[in-house]
Amino acid sequence: MARLVGGMGTSHVPSIGVALDKGLRDTPEWKPFFDGYVPAQEWVKEHKPDVAVVVFNDHYNAMFLDRVPTFGVGCAEEYQIVDEGWGPRAIPSFTGHSAFSWHLVDSLVENHFDPEIIQEIKVDHGLQVPLELFWGKPEQEWPVKVVPIFVNVLQYPIPLPARLYDLGKQLGRAIESYDSDEKFVVLGTGGLSHQLQGARAGFTNPPADRQFLIDIAQNPDKLAGWSREQYVETFGGEGAELIMWLVMRGALSPDVVARFSHYFVPASMTGAGMIVLENA
Amino acid sequence: MGEPDRIPDTPILDRQRQLRGYRMNKMAMGLGDPVNREAFKADEPAYLDRFGLSEEEKTAVLTRNWKEMIRLGGNLFFVLKITAVDPIRITEIGAHQVDMDHESFLRDRLGKKV
Repeated sequence: MARLVGGMGTSHVPSIGVALDKGLRDTPEWKPFFDGYVPAQEWVKEHKPDVAVVVFNDHYNAMFLDRVPTFGVGCAEEYQIVDEGWGPRAIPSFTGHSAFSWHLVDSLVENHFDPEIIQEIKVDHGLQVPLELFWGKPEQEWPVKVVPIFVNVLQYPIPLPARLYDLGKQLGRAIESYDSDEKFVVLGTGGLSHQLQGARAGFTNPPADRQFLIDIAQNPDKLAGWSREQYVETFGGEGAELIMWLVMRGALSPDVVARFSHYFVPASMTGAGMIVLENA
Repeated sequence: MGEPDRIPDTPILDRQRQLRGYRMNKMAMGLGDPVNREAFKADEPAYLDRFGLSEEEKTAVLTRNWKEMIRLGGNLFFVLKITAVDPIRITEIGAHQVDMDHESFLRDRLGKKV
């Protein structure tokens, strides 16, 4: 059976991709941020996962408000780079894993989760940036297949944190019941604290972010029990998206070991966090 | 907007706001297409008219009044695409919304050394 070798969490701020495109990696502003990912990149090289299930949200680049799935599972063999307004970024398109995606959809529906089934979609920075941070930007092709799970974290009602945690538990079971020798990782993306709109724009909450990086490993039940309003108040209007990390955490065992974590503020307007977890 | 934000100073895309901003957001979504970006550059009022924007909404967009665009139900992830055609930093949009100059916003809100 397939094996889940780790769970990773990371911010997916678009400026990170822009910084890489402009060659700013080693500038004083960005170097401390990118250097924080080096141990995680070495972990990836050591474990060589075959498949990354990436939990993220489209930022109204591939989807509009005309149809808003609460959850969607990408079932394509390829995901091209979407045009976010500046033209598609010059990075390779992503290879999907249709066979596992359909297994996942079957498994979810049989266990009372009913995602939208998505067979043609382009992906934005929400998926691109986490892959670049953990795997590095490839010249030719990505060394890992991706299975995107889209979550609506923008238009209310967004799903409850507890629901995402449960989705993760089911995702973990789907991986462990998949007949294959492949190694899987799950990526929870987004956050940490930031707010881009309104009179509270520019809000960040570094103490809460640092506590989140501890609790996501040690106290996920506590985080799953928070209300959406608590997330918005604590992490900002857009920072509430970090509920998507709960899917990653739910896929892992109750007891985990945090291999690495890193925090940097601000990346653009965001408290940027990273963690790599393994089952204990 | 009629009702105040449920969490103060934090406009989330709830039912009321997304209904109010639907046309403006659809207009901005269109800027993901290079043909529309050229149309926006060539004749912005005509491009806005294609999406049925009200005079109030058109004025907010044409004057790059970010605070007003958000007040009228525009969502940042949509209206940000305007900056692909008419560049401005996201931190400047942030500063504009809180009535601060850019340097003060970077320093006082984001804790950057400026």
